[in-house]
Amino acid sequence: MYTIANELKDKIVYLNKVLSEKYSQVLSLDEMFLREFIEENVGPIRKVNKLTEEELAYYYQKGGILGVDGSRNRVGGAYPHFVEIYQGLAKSTIYKDKPIYKADFYSPLYDEKGEFPIEDSIEEEESIRNRKLSTIEIEAALEGIRQLKPYAVIMDGSLIRYDIESFTRWMELRRECEEKDIILVGVIKDIKTSIIGELLKEDKELNIEECFHDRELLYGMLEYGEMISIHGEVTKKAKEGFSSLFMRSSKAPTVIGMDLLDSQKKYLEEMARLVLTLTPEDGRGVPLWIDIVDSEVKISDKMIRGLLESYLDRQILEMLFISERDKRTL
Amino acid sequence: MKVVGITTQQEVYVGSKDRNFRINEFLIISDPYQGDLMGEIVEAKTYNKYIPLSIHGELADSSVIESLKALGYNIEEDTIYIGKIRLLNEALYPVETGCDVRIPTFDEVKDIMINSPADEGLILGVIKNTDQMAKDMDEEYKNLLYTFEEGELKKQRDIPYIFNIRSMHQYPHIGVFGGSGSGKSFGLRVVLEELMKLNIPTIVLDPHFEMDFSQRGDYMPKEEEIDYRDKFKCLQVGFHVGVRFEDLSPQDLKNLLDASSPLTDAMNNVVDILFKRNDSYNSFYNRLKMLAEAQEEGSLDRIQLRIDSADSNLEREGWLKRKELFLTYDKTCPYNSVRGIIWRLNRLYNEGIFSKDIREIEDGLNMGKLIVIQGNTRILQVFSTYLLNNLYHRRRDYKDALYKKTTAEYFPPFIVVTDEAHNFAPKGYDSPSKSILKEISQEGRKYGTFLILATQRPTLLDETITAQLNTKFIFRTVRASDIQTIQEETDITVEEARRLPYLRTGDVFISEALMGRTIFARIRAAHTTSPHTENPFDELKNISKAEDEKFMQIIKNKLPINGDDFINVIKEIERDTGITYTVNIFEDKLEDLVTKGLIKKEKTPFFNIYKEI
Ligand SMILES: Nc1ncnc2c1ncn2[C@@H]1O[C@H](COP(=O)(O)OP(=O)(O)O)[C@@H](O)[C@H]1O
Ligand SMILES: [Mg+2]
Repeated sequence: MYTIANELKDKIVYLNKVLSEKYSQVLSLDEMFLREFIEENVGPIRKVNKLTEEELAYYYQKGGILGVDGSRNRVGGAYPHFVEIYQGLAKSTIYKDKPIYKADFYSPLYDEKGEFPIEDSIEEEESIRNRKLSTIEIEAALEGIRQLKPYAVIMDGSLIRYDIESFTRWMELRRECEEKDIILVGVIKDIKTSIIGELLKEDKELNIEECFHDRELLYGMLEYGEMISIHGEVTKKAKEGFSSLFMRSSKAPTVIGMDLLDSQKKYLEEMARLVLTLTPEDGRGVPLWIDIVDSEVKISDKMIRGLLESYLDRQILEMLFISERDKRTL
Repeated sequence: MKVVGITTQQEVYVGSKDRNFRINEFLIISDPYQGDLMGEIVEAKTYNKYIPLSIHGELADSSVIESLKALGYNIEEDTIYIGKIRLLNEALYPVETGCDVRIPTFDEVKDIMINSPADEGLILGVIKNTDQMAKDMDEEYKNLLYTFEEGELKKQRDIPYIFNIRSMHQYPHIGVFGGSGSGKSFGLRVVLEELMKLNIPTIVLDPHFEMDFSQRGDYMPKEEEIDYRDKFKCLQVGFHVGVRFEDLSPQDLKNLLDASSPLTDAMNNVVDILFKRNDSYNSFYNRLKMLAEAQEEGSLDRIQLRIDSADSNLEREGWLKRKELFLTYDKTCPYNSVRGIIWRLNRLYNEGIFSKDIREIEDGLNMGKLIVIQGNTRILQVFSTYLLNNLYHRRRDYKDALYKKTTAEYFPPFIVVTDEAHNFAPKGYDSPSKSILKEISQEGRKYGTFLILATQRPTLLDETITAQLNTKFIFRTVRASDIQTIQEETDITVEEARRLPYLRTGDVFISEALMGRTIFARIRAAHTTSPHTENPFDELKNISKAEDEKFMQIIKNKLPINGDDFINVIKEIERDTGITYTVNIFEDKLEDLVTKGLIKKEKTPFFNIYKEI
């Protein structure tokens, strides 16, 4: 026991050492320098204010805000004996009694349109599952904008993700929003980009070999309410057709990302202000409306189990979806 | 309203989307299998999935909530209300989840709320949170009282709380507990008003000089005024009432002296030896005094010398008497103990205790009056010991005589009321007043003598007596030790005990043996007010105002007053009113009136002129 603990301790000390070495450069980057670098190469840093009461009232008149989110639950064991269940929700701040739910499922045991890959490539399989989730969210959003006619739609996650994972339905949503002049915005809690990191690395004078993530570089760097609107050319590298920004939306030092359609670029700052307005100051930076939609779309594993137990034949359930591990707890 | 969640035979949760629950509210659960079940809300909560903990344990601040509201989404509408109901009687089976819950009608709760006709009981207040059931209440119970809340007089909307005084025969004695400022004295006042209304003979020990009932509460409407003036009498110890020395038994006397300041065994002995039947104060006092003087001489020889060298016959006789006392008592009555008794006796005498008797008290009780005995705590301890022994034994003798079919003078049943009861019956040590109170607490029921004891420190009250208090009024209590005592001595629940520190002034838990449960009530507005509820700072202000007015009256017809003429004006005032001022003080006072804007001052090159405005 003692020796294991000691060994573990040594490993952790070692991890700390390599991480400190790796990040010493980030940690030692002068904040002023970094801000200047960003202003020069990434985009202007600006402080934005919350929306005023009149602006909010205007939003209300124009149809309120539609929040969109999805959830996935997986029941069963290893491939192919599992089923994954997806639920999407679009909910308007105005029509609280008209939530729009969409549902779908995926199981390798059932081939919808012969679209499954012949060789069971894990990546391909995962992309199907991602597509299902994205699609269901897009469908909820589509029905939401048709029925509830919102002023803006806030999606939980990057818009680029929908473009990649469910292209056709995405184009449909995009077109409709553009036609109806409904602002579409994605809010990204965990930014995974390296936009600034890449630029730093490219700058030969700086002599930085590592490519750092934006979340690492931006941690604690922006003031509450400050945003960076990213230059078109810089974003384009990632994906064409979108405009993005980073913002510190709460007192927490982390930074969130937002993206909009290029065609709606003029709303960039306005949407940043909307998100700032809806985010608790002492929170993690996520707009409360997204948290509310998120909590309503989530289904507990227990509930899913109950559903399957009620509507699947016992034999099928046990034969196909109950893993050895689950049986132990049965 | 519906039953939700897991239920038991004792407790269920009830949920509602649009109606908040109030603690101590009564509700009926319509169980499809067991019929109607009555219960009381013991905990009330509101719950909103999004505030305050939003979803990840973070606080959704009000600006975000307001913004969402502006966007059309009112987060508060997602609030649900949850109440925990404790069933009055345990159900046979756990209550059906999902069944309906409704508000009872008056008839359904009458038996558990009211156990006395309005005109026979003490109308002390309202049972809180019963307004919905009170709507179809019998007329007899409507408009009996007002409450006084947040500085406003309010009409009765709830079911009244009526204490069944007749039940004291079965469940005697009342305790009134609560911290300072919690409403005890006010509550006692209401109890006393009701006792007067029913003409019940009552003795009140009033160490605070606050139980006077001749002044109407200024918040009460004039037409509601009740005149109590011929129903009570305030008597001060040593001034209106006292002890007739000739009536004292040796034990009475020892109690009195002991209450004045504790007696040693030797002092007790001195009283036993020196106090003779039929002694008057003077005869007893002289005996003590002369013995002490003889002892001061120190020896028989020296006393003899005094006798021999006496200037007059009278003086010689005096010393002869001292010699006799010395010979008889010096051995058994040590000088120091004799002095101790003299000192105590003197003290009582100076307080006037021996100058009056208790006739007026007895007469008052016989006429069904409320007799308020006033004095400082110590003197009340002394006097009450004697008084209560006397009255209680009169009553007991009368009842015993009835039983034995012999004759004795009639003496009525009566109630003894005191504030600061822990001073009269302290826990842990003996005090003369404690033994009589203990006796009444244990035996009084048989003779129709009852106690109402109020204290802010139940922990300090004798526990044998506390155990005999069958009804307890519990006001706000903050001290942990007192809350614990209260929990041990009453049937209040853990939830109720937890609420004790937060009760509003005048709100009270009533734990009544007759009802078998605790009632949450608010004491009604008293009809009368204590003579000294004036705020001490208002008092200061009023006094200085009165002073100013007085001075204005005096100088009014002297105005204008010239600064070089003070001496003559002062002389005139002295002649008219007999009041003398020095020039300095007179000028100060005039200046003071100027700053207060009551007169004005004009400056001339030589002197100031003070003029009327
Ligand atoms: N039931 C009541 N309704 C309205 N006011 C009350 C009530 N009980 C007490 N008060 C007010 O609260 C104050 C304190 O009450 P009091 O009875 O003197 O407290 P305690 O005797 O417990 O120290 C008093 O000024 C009294 O007027
Ligand atoms: Mg008091």
